[in-house]
Amino acid sequence: MKVRVQLQCKNLHEYLRELSPEILYRLYNHPATCLAVYRELPSLAKNYVMRMLFLDQPLPQAAVALWVKKDSQKDHNECVSVLAGLRLWHSQQLQGGLQGYMLNPVFKDNLRIALLGGGRAWADEGSALGPDRHARDIESLDRYAMERWEVILHFMVGSPSAAVSPDLAQLLVQADLMKSEAGEAPYITSAGFQFLLLDTASQLWYFTLQYLKTAQSRGMDLVEILSFLFQLSFSTLGRDYSVEGMSKSLLIFLQHLREFGLVFQRKRKSRRYYPTRLAITLAAGVTMNSSSDLASTSVTGDAGFIVVETNYRIYAYTNSELQIALVALFSEMLYRFPNVVVAQVTRESVQQAIANGITAQQIIHFLRTRAHPVMLKQTPVLPPTITDQIRLWELERDRLHFSEGVLYNQFLSQADFEVLRDRAQDLDCLVWQDVAHRMMVVTPQGHGEVKRFWKRQKSHT
Amino acid sequence: MSAEDEANLLVIVIDVNPIWWGQQAQREPQFTLSKCVDAVLVMGNSYMAMARTNKLAVIASHCQDSHFLYPNKTWRAGDSGGDDAPSSGDGKYELLSVANNLIADEIRNVMSQTEVRGNSTDTLLAGSLAKALCCILSSKSSNIGQEMKSRILVIKAAEDCALQYMNFMNVIFAAQKQNILIDACVLDSDSGLLQQACDITGGLYLKIPHKVALTQYLLWVFLPDTEERSQLVLPPPAHVDYRAACFCHRNLIEIGYVCSVCLSSKTAFKIKLPQMVKPKKKKLKQTT
Repeated sequence: MKVRVQLQCKNLHEYLRELSPEILYRLYNHPATCLAVYRELPSLAKNYVMRMLFLDQPLPQAAVALWVKKDSQKDHNECVSVLAGLRLWHSQQLQGGLQGYMLNPVFKDNLRIALLGGGRAWADEGSALGPDRHARDIESLDRYAMERWEVILHFMVGSPSAAVSPDLAQLLVQADLMKSEAGEAPYITSAGFQFLLLDTASQLWYFTLQYLKTAQSRGMDLVEILSFLFQLSFSTLGRDYSVEGMSKSLLIFLQHLREFGLVFQRKRKSRRYYPTRLAITLAAGVTMNSSSDLASTSVTGDAGFIVVETNYRIYAYTNSELQIALVALFSEMLYRFPNVVVAQVTRESVQQAIANGITAQQIIHFLRTRAHPVMLKQTPVLPPTITDQIRLWELERDRLHFSEGVLYNQFLSQADFEVLRDRAQDLDCLVWQDVAHRMMVVTPQGHGEVKRFWKRQKSHT
Repeated sequence: MSAEDEANLLVIVIDVNPIWWGQQAQREPQFTLSKCVDAVLVMGNSYMAMARTNKLAVIASHCQDSHFLYPNKTWRAGDSGGDDAPSSGDGKYELLSVANNLIADEIRNVMSQTEVRGNSTDTLLAGSLAKALCCILSSKSSNIGQEMKSRILVIKAAEDCALQYMNFMNVIFAAQKQNILIDACVLDSDSGLLQQACDITGGLYLKIPHKVALTQYLLWVFLPDTEERSQLVLPPPAHVDYRAACFCHRNLIEIGYVCSVCLSSKTAFKIKLPQMVKPKKKKLKQTT
């Protein structure tokens, strides 16, 4: 049995679907959330929503089903279930007794506002405060955001220079990324190792989810902070916004965001804040597939620095303690120079990493996303020998495969054994058999059926 | 989501022929140019709201020239919201409100400043389409490595102009080669040229029966991207008028003579090859 705990990264929809209907309804009261939810719908569902956005009457279900061609009916059903799951669609009885669909009125109104205007402003613009004397340009914001974020990562790998607030440390412990024994400094868990190897966007999203999970226990209103988060992700980079009119818990939330590097605030008491690129890409980073590599590297702004050679050597052109620590997670350090470290990927080092809960896929993903520009020119980016070998090393640990079962043995005759074995084979529940010793193993699900069959068989003869 | 790392670009070309829209305002006061622009804005907003990677460009096609309404030279999309970015003060998504204000301002400029000179009253659609292609190409070259899916949506008001046949065909084939769809939403009379354009590039051609409902037509038919179009039931392809224009008078002809050397089509059969440079003046009569 696999003991490894995979780091579960849910996407926005899975998260929202778990929320209770009341919270969902309240969430849809803000145009920003509506827009964020809308963006994450499957593309076909987006078109459905658009088609119904300006309709005030419910549409018959039969008519909606005719929107798609016959052979893509499966996609249609999927869209309907997604829309219904998020409470965006209501079923409603039409006059003729037919079932009809209607867009959630609250969602409809707020999406219209987001698209076409009207309603209340999302946030007070900083312009009311006059121009900022300490205005920030985009580069400095990017730098600031990355610095803040890296402090957190440094803290996780235990760099002595990194210090975070007790709140944050507690959050890391609650998120199971770190563990702390009484009186001792917290140390990293296997989930934490996996977390470190993710790209920034995924890290951020995972972290935010954990934050939201614990938000209610801090006495924060989930709806309020989610709305604010989405609002932040739709704001313009390099523009200042005012904290005017924010509630007390929201101001605390803002301070937390400031610590994560999602917003820039010059001073704690400053009346204005700047969202950083991290905040703006937050909603975009919810798709967890590897296709967002390109986006994520451009987000962080730093070019790749790792060169991997077919002789299993890794050259990492970096000074960053954090990056070196990350490389050291799955490789053996050989030499260290002022601007480069040389490491070797060995069987032991990879297996050590895998024992820590890191998967081969994550190692390969890490190397690929941080590949040096020179490496990026060749296809595939990483030498196939290396990627294959890392995967093989992972498979080595999986040579044993456990499956539960019930053992049948001590058959009196070969015929009995064969009858029962054939029956088990027909039921597709035979796990293993040994004809010479008249032994067989069936799955626990099939056990009842096989047992009943055997009793019937015995009573017949 | 598979479409995360590829950018999409939609170029909307609006026919703003002042003569046609002037007549239209008298015929149907409930559907004027401003209504049409409103519908286009709704369409553009919906498109940009669909995904972060969706980009929009709007071109106004006038009698004499074509203007970029959005993105404008003075304002580069995305990065510099800057100081002059007007705030809407309501619940609209910031990016959208900035874009909409810009488009509205620009179209006001275009309509008030451009005078109709001379006697050419046809919309320069071929020129605008060429500009759209240039726009697509330049944004393609500006972000290399990213896959780019582009299409052009033409909102056509005025009559076809057979004079532009050659230029039009060149644009169509260039678009076909670049895998760019041309969609056409025709407000008034059927356009043979656009029918051909849509047919060749694989786009949709729709002549809308109710002009007032333009917004709904745009959202229903023209908003879905290529991938979703294969799943949705959409209007059947229109009958295509494949008549070519002759090289001598620029008229659409049903039967013509094709030169075996230069492949030009002519209305009349001439043994002597005409000099290609000199246009024949005596036969120049404009029958459309």
